Amino acid sequence: MKYSYIEPRKKTPFTPDIQLIITFFSITLIMLFSTYAFLLFKNHMFVKDRQNYVSSRIDLQNSIDRLDQKIAYIKKQKALSEKVFTQNMVLKDSINNLFDLVPERITLSRAELLENGLILYGITPSKDVYNFMLQAPLRSIFQKTYSSFYPQKNGWLRFVSTNYINEDEGEELNSED
Amino acid sequence: MKINISRHQIYILLLSIFLFLFVLIFSFGLLIPEGKEYRLKRVELKKAQQEYNKYKNFYDETLDTFKNLQSKNRNIITAFQRPFSPERFEKQYKNNFSSLKISKINRVADEEGFSVYEVNTTSHIASPTNFYDFLDALNKGDWIIGVNFPIKFLRDGEMIKSSFTMKVYANSDDKNASASGSLDK
Repeated sequence: MKYSYIEPRKKTPFTPDIQLIITFFSITLIMLFSTYAFLLFKNHMFVKDRQNYVSSRIDLQNSIDRLDQKIAYIKKQKALSEKVFTQNMVLKDSINNLFDLVPERITLSRAELLENGLILYGITPSKDVYNFMLQAPLRSIFQKTYSSFYPQKNGWLRFVSTNYINEDEGEELNSED
Repeated sequence: MKINISRHQIYILLLSIFLFLFVLIFSFGLLIPEGKEYRLKRVELKKAQQEYNKYKNFYDETLDTFKNLQSKNRNIITAFQRPFSPERFEKQYKNNFSSLKISKINRVADEEGFSVYEVNTTSHIASPTNFYDFLDALNKGDWIIGVNFPIKFLRDGEMIKSSFTMKVYANSDDKNASASGSLDK
């Protein structure tokens, strides 16, 4: 039995007011959640990138240390080689000076260059020639100079000249002999 | 005066308050701290990046220095690496001598962190000039070699017989040990 001529309208809890509120809060919440998700993601990325930078920096630091070691080693090689080359040049000059030191009238038969001394064997026409022309310059270089003479049949003298730079090192050389 | 509020309106009000509170709690409890952390981490990242860039620049500079040094001293570096070969030495320097003989390679005490080998040499030279030329050539040679005392010169007819010791310097990871062994055999 009908009591009304119109159809009853359906009742729903989602009234326009509710719909408006839900729409408003949905948009707000979506924005909040997306911002939060963005922040979480960015923070995670920041941590990851920072870790990468730190590990790369440590790698670079190790590489720099290795390079520094290599540089130091090359410098050490260079320093040693220059020292050796200089020693060779000094030696060349020393030998050159030695041969320049010997006058034409004196003939050397043997020369021994020691670290702290010089031993010369040779022939001289007389003691005076030896003393003035060879021993005098040798005395100006070496602190200790010993000379021995042995007469030869032709009247010339065979000599042995032993010269040391200083007493202590000379004694060491003598004890070695 | 009586306020007439329907149940429906009360529901709407409660829902609005609940959602509003949720938004507030979420914002102040999670979002704002996370935002602060975001700023802090961004600053930290920037610092790490700046530090990395500083190290990168320093690394580039060091690498440049190393490469320059390496290219300028290539001969010296190679000379220290090259194992000493008596045959090659004789071949290279025979022009300076009438005869040249390398007798033995002995390892002696290391100097300044480098391996040192002693080589005894006997030779004949026509004049001291040959020996000077040899010393000049030695400084441009394949190895780092220093002529060592004692040096003996002995008149031998028209020639001068010279005998001296040479010190060959090499890197401490020595390859000369094998050369020394092979020569002894």
